[in-house]
Amino acid sequence: MHSGGDLTVPGAPQESYLKHGRGLRSWLFTLDHKRIGIMYLVLIVVSLILGGVFAMVLRFHLWNPSGGLVSNDTYNKMFTLHGAVMIFLFVIPGIPSALGNFIVPLQVGAKDVAFPRVNLLSFWLFAAGAVLFIATLVVGGLDTGWTIYPPYSLESSRGLGILLALTGVFLAGFSSILTGVNFIATIHRMRAPGMGWFDLPLFLWALYATGIIQIFATPVLGITVALGFLERLFHLGIFMPEYGGDPVLFQHFFWFYSHPAVYIMILPAMGIVSEVVSVFSRKPIFGYRFIARSSIAIAVIGFLVWGHHMFVSGQSKWVNVIFSFLTLLVAIPSAIKTFNWLATMYKGAIVLKTPMLYVLSFFGIFGVGGLTGLFLGALATDIPLHDTYFVVAHFHFVMVGGVLIAFLAGLHYWWPKMTGRMYDERLGRASAILIFLGFNLTFIPQFFAGLAGMPRRYATYAVEHQALNRFSTAGAVVLTLGLVIALWGLVASLRRGARAPANPWGAASLEWSAASPPAHDNFAIAPRGRKPYDFTGLRRVSDEAGWVHAEGEGA
Amino acid sequence: MSLLAVRIADVLLAAGPGYLPERASSVAPSVDHVFAFLFWVSAFFLALIVSLTILFVVRYRSRPSRRDPEPSPSHDNRLEILWSAIPLVLVFAIFAASTKVYYAMTELEPGDSPLRVQVTGRKWSWWFDHPSGKGANQLHLVAGRPTELVLASTDVIHSLYVPAFRLKQDAVPGRFTKMVFTPTQPGTYPILCAEYCGTNHSTMGAVAVVHPDQASFDEWAKEGLAPGASLVEVGQQVYAEKGCVACHSVDGTPGVGPSFKGIWGKEEKLAGGNTVKVDEAYIRESIVAPAAKITAGFDNVMPPIPLEEREMQGIVAYIQSLKD
Repeated sequence: MHSGGDLTVPGAPQESYLKHGRGLRSWLFTLDHKRIGIMYLVLIVVSLILGGVFAMVLRFHLWNPSGGLVSNDTYNKMFTLHGAVMIFLFVIPGIPSALGNFIVPLQVGAKDVAFPRVNLLSFWLFAAGAVLFIATLVVGGLDTGWTIYPPYSLESSRGLGILLALTGVFLAGFSSILTGVNFIATIHRMRAPGMGWFDLPLFLWALYATGIIQIFATPVLGITVALGFLERLFHLGIFMPEYGGDPVLFQHFFWFYSHPAVYIMILPAMGIVSEVVSVFSRKPIFGYRFIARSSIAIAVIGFLVWGHHMFVSGQSKWVNVIFSFLTLLVAIPSAIKTFNWLATMYKGAIVLKTPMLYVLSFFGIFGVGGLTGLFLGALATDIPLHDTYFVVAHFHFVMVGGVLIAFLAGLHYWWPKMTGRMYDERLGRASAILIFLGFNLTFIPQFFAGLAGMPRRYATYAVEHQALNRFSTAGAVVLTLGLVIALWGLVASLRRGARAPANPWGAASLEWSAASPPAHDNFAIAPRGRKPYDFTGLRRVSDEAGWVHAEGEGA
Repeated sequence: MSLLAVRIADVLLAAGPGYLPERASSVAPSVDHVFAFLFWVSAFFLALIVSLTILFVVRYRSRPSRRDPEPSPSHDNRLEILWSAIPLVLVFAIFAASTKVYYAMTELEPGDSPLRVQVTGRKWSWWFDHPSGKGANQLHLVAGRPTELVLASTDVIHSLYVPAFRLKQDAVPGRFTKMVFTPTQPGTYPILCAEYCGTNHSTMGAVAVVHPDQASFDEWAKEGLAPGASLVEVGQQVYAEKGCVACHSVDGTPGVGPSFKGIWGKEEKLAGGNTVKVDEAYIRESIVAPAAKITAGFDNVMPPIPLEEREMQGIVAYIQSLKD
């Protein structure tokens, strides 16, 4: 089946990747980065729905201060699985593995990633990890929190659940490393002729920086969970005080990965924002080189700030002070990016389509997420706020408000390319607005609950926080509604959507010169590199035909 | 000036349903100053980002009369330096202000000899050993007297959090950690556990009682059961104060552990299928080595509870008294 595509005469139209090979096997064992990306997308959206269902159980339980929907133990299992599923199966792999897999080779003008077989292996490791998470549920769940801190997580009374979860994290971690290796190799070696480093779309710079973190940080996670596994079974005395180990050592190992992992999550999101803000302002991105370098700066500084998760663990005062300073430094590359995005809109011709609406809401929400990070990086304010709802609100502003919203921006932006169909613009806009409102209603009250002293991971809480919690639950319902509409709009377009032209948005990066959906080999003629944000010469023909280059280049 | 900023920040926060807790330690006001400073810096930048976004969308949105962007530069090094340098200066200012207060939060104030209290966290209660040997499930302090808590845990990590003092410190098994502060306002303040520790994490509370003066504290320290108190009374107090109450009811409802009601003399089914008679030997073993015999239907979660001999006799007598 594969040879059929390879023998096509160069330049002749090819069948789309969706039609190249039929049946389940042609998907499950495909080496095509686009099909692997779509399979990731399906798993990731299923994980998002699962994590969302857990979240709604939590929110309804917290409607009353004494709980009441489920028992304390069930609540504890629900927040553990909500966190673990959302982080390991949605936020970390969401943008790089699903959208990145599809878009990276197209943006560099290549036929596939550098190592297609490794790519398929990476998908299967991820799927196996996801299955183990579900198995954890089947054997009775896990109530350790996603941070799996010992001694609690490795107590001798624990059974299979913790071992399955550790193995699941290990496998998902390997998948993430392999994806990082693949993207770095692809960006280094497979750029189209004439495409220099500073001709890369900023999404690729972001994924390159992400790849560096994935390769250097994720092995530490793998080692940590492997040690936890062995500690539980053989009592090595590494993390458990009763065998002579140190539980704070685990926290260092865990956050040495998991803090950089925050940047694994947010950098690709920033990459999407850079693409969308330029294309929908019809203007070259402002300060390209500063945005590109700030991605690398965030990746590097991000390695040096993990200790802020341990400000109250009893570590030395000096260590706290140094980590506090390094943490606050992250504000600078973040500020550079934000102001460059805003400057991109200045004097542009801003088109308010769905991806741009998501990006506009990203500015406000990510702004709050970043700025409230200052309160948690500064020692004096972190100590009272540590482990309260202020922290919960802060990281949801970054993870949901930043990553989920950018993911939806990217998904709507590249949807026509991935599926060959246009989504319904009214449903898309409605979802963007509802998600913005629902999100803020859910998480702004949580800042106040944290300030008033409500600790996180509480199955029951003091009566004084009831009103805040009810606002939050009401917001979660609106947020869910927004997500359902977004999903409905996209899925319905598969049947009813108009056929997408190659370039519906008038973007200049290479993926838009391939057909929508792209052919199995991506490009009929190997493209030459060009400036990704130079919109001169692009002309809009019609809704059906989209935009074309006046010179006919890359058509 | 900074006080005014705190006032305004307070008013804004009070406008919402949430509110900063009372300020009852010597560092609480300065923590709130740092908070107010950060609040205003953040509010300024958020307002800047949001208003520029709205302004640009309104002015530069694509419309029939305006399909193309106006020419404008795509980079400007002076601007890049400006918006790198201003955040950098602010980062230094925030770091300096916060670190100065942090030092105050971690160093004993000079003054009277500090009150030293040994704190033990365990699932799911706190225990405070005060000087002169008085232990209690409440933390007793003296207004104006510098205090040093030494924290330990007998099982998993807990975190002692007193919102009114603006302080928090983990209690880590296998380590001793320290928390120092000076309470300023007499009163009673909630203590919470801030590090997730299992089933009853959210009810692992206690209170800090700040006495107005040393004399009042001393009076409390002398209080206790009359020397002639019966063993059942001792047991009742141990039950309430040493944390049994968190998991064992006395009315027959099963909690995290079996209820004490009517178990004396009963044959209990154990997890392994054996049975055991609930007598003094079994109760003593269950307190010293809780994992040795687990009642069927319950999990092995109880930490060993160190009790003095009289307390041990008391709890045995108390359970005996709960026989139907």
